[in-house]
Amino acid sequence: MATDTQDPNQEFRKNPSWLYDTQSGTYVRKSLIGLLTLVVFTYVLFPLYWMVVTAFKTTAEIQQIPPTVFPEDPSLQGFRMVVMSSLQTSGYDAFFEQSFGWEISSAIDIDILTLIVNSLKVTVGAGLIALVLGTGAAYVLSQREFRGKNAIMSLLLASLMFPGTAIMVPEWELISTLGLFNTHLALILIYGAMTSPFVVWLMKGFFDDFPDSIVEASRIDQCTPFETFWYVLVPMARNSLIASFIFAFLLAWNELVFALTLLDNSKFTVPPGLLTFVQGFNTQWNVVAAASIIISLPVLAGLAYIQQYFVQGLTGGAVKG
Amino acid sequence: MSYVDNAQASYEHAIERVPDGVRVYLPILPVMSLVGVFILYPIAQAIYSSFFDKDLLAPAEAEFVGLANYAEIWTSETIHQVLWNTFVWVAVGSIAAIVLGFLMGWLLYEKLPFTSVASAIVLIPWVLPRVVGASIWQFMFGGSQGIINELLVQLGVIDEYIVMLGSTELSLWPPIVGMIWRLAPLFALLTLTSLQGIDEHLYEAARMDGATPWEQFRYITLPMMRYNLAIGFLLMLIYNIRNFSMVWVMTKGGPGVSSSTLPVMIYRTAFVDFNVGLASALSMLLFVVLLVFSYYYIQVYDKVQGEF
Repeated sequence: MATDTQDPNQEFRKNPSWLYDTQSGTYVRKSLIGLLTLVVFTYVLFPLYWMVVTAFKTTAEIQQIPPTVFPEDPSLQGFRMVVMSSLQTSGYDAFFEQSFGWEISSAIDIDILTLIVNSLKVTVGAGLIALVLGTGAAYVLSQREFRGKNAIMSLLLASLMFPGTAIMVPEWELISTLGLFNTHLALILIYGAMTSPFVVWLMKGFFDDFPDSIVEASRIDQCTPFETFWYVLVPMARNSLIASFIFAFLLAWNELVFALTLLDNSKFTVPPGLLTFVQGFNTQWNVVAAASIIISLPVLAGLAYIQQYFVQGLTGGAVKG
Repeated sequence: MSYVDNAQASYEHAIERVPDGVRVYLPILPVMSLVGVFILYPIAQAIYSSFFDKDLLAPAEAEFVGLANYAEIWTSETIHQVLWNTFVWVAVGSIAAIVLGFLMGWLLYEKLPFTSVASAIVLIPWVLPRVVGASIWQFMFGGSQGIINELLVQLGVIDEYIVMLGSTELSLWPPIVGMIWRLAPLFALLTLTSLQGIDEHLYEAARMDGATPWEQFRYITLPMMRYNLAIGFLLMLIYNIRNFSMVWVMTKGGPGVSSSTLPVMIYRTAFVDFNVGLASALSMLLFVVLLVFSYYYIQVYDKVQGEF
């Protein structure tokens, strides 16, 4: 629907409006829209710009008042401090000094490498659990009619709404009772439980749209329902499966509440680790911003892939384009 | 023995023996048990704990106190302040995110080129790790070097830098601004997707009948999007009311409880004051509100999809 200065359908209108059908009205309308675009997108994009710019400033420039909008002296100081302090805390500094003659010493301690490894362990584990359990359930829920199906679907949908803050206290009690406190297994199971309803809904959407004729063809070839599922549907669902996995990955990568309450410092994943760091060193914002950028990279890579599934994933398939 | 029997592995014989009415539940069982143990059971546990005076560090010495925790919610000034904060947060945050998100979605659909690239960029605030987004805003709102203070001074709104995050009157607002920044893109994408789903021919027909662009919007666009907007609205409410990270990173709910919302209060009660009983009672409040929201969510969902 193009909005030209001259509306091609103008002649059909019974009541011409000033805003659309006069020259001055068009100018007012266009400049208002331009201004609106500018304001809205500045609000969204400026914080991102600010994070990137801050990461490339020197510590001295960060403390200037008023702050500089463009870095006067771009430097990689922030990134270097993050990398060095990770190497030092993980004990690689001796190795680098002996083999390359590099002196590594850092005044701060953030071990971003360990945080990322911990997070990867948790996210991949949770993603796989959600994927394996969720896909099978989605297939049955999509293909078969049985008693209690609507109740199960509603229950899964509702269980997407509660995790996080509403159940953090009883979850702590449960994990303590199970003896899983301060283990990554606890987080893997919880994140798996949080994301598998997502996967069920997303994959059910895929199976619902899947052409029946292919399923029938495999049945005529004497496939059991399981074989149909495993040899026919799963290979064809590859893209949806990858998208589901990335959704589970993103959720687990970003989750703060359970990671903060169920782990100790030594086992922290990325979100609570970064939080501790921000609160300990909030004068050195260039280092914080550099660390933030490093841990945001996997998320941005994931976003590029799942963009087309995003709305479906967020609404459990209720909103389709 | 027919060739079909040969083709089947032994575990399939075992599955064959399960009556068909029960067999369909087998693939659903793992998901349901995981969800049951880690999401539904804790809710039941919270109901139970809310009737006890329980210390986080000594859960064995719990003492039954009946409705005393709920009575404390009813009388405590502090908790009333927190509930009011939560109400302001959800109302302002959701409405602003919806208005802004709708505008963004509409601009993306109608006015801007490169829709798919632009919408990916717009989505970054939503997918960015919560702590990262919140700490950017904490830095921008900072009292000594914050860019927002500088901007307000330049605009003449204030005379000198003020410590917004540390002031009892103002500290609620910076996290709301941050939260709107995070949620608006999500609503924008919902809007964009629903706009793309509307049939062009409807607009053509309306133009033939002499509809102005406003009338087209009012009588075609809005009615066609009503369920999607309802889902978006409920998602905004849910995400706003259960948000923890934005407040916790920026202000820790302080000073005092001036910026605490319900989730932050639950965390502080349980893990700072170690009062599990009261925290569970507060969780029940949050839980009931979420239950109402998700009931309507499922209702709308049913309308969109028909039967599951």
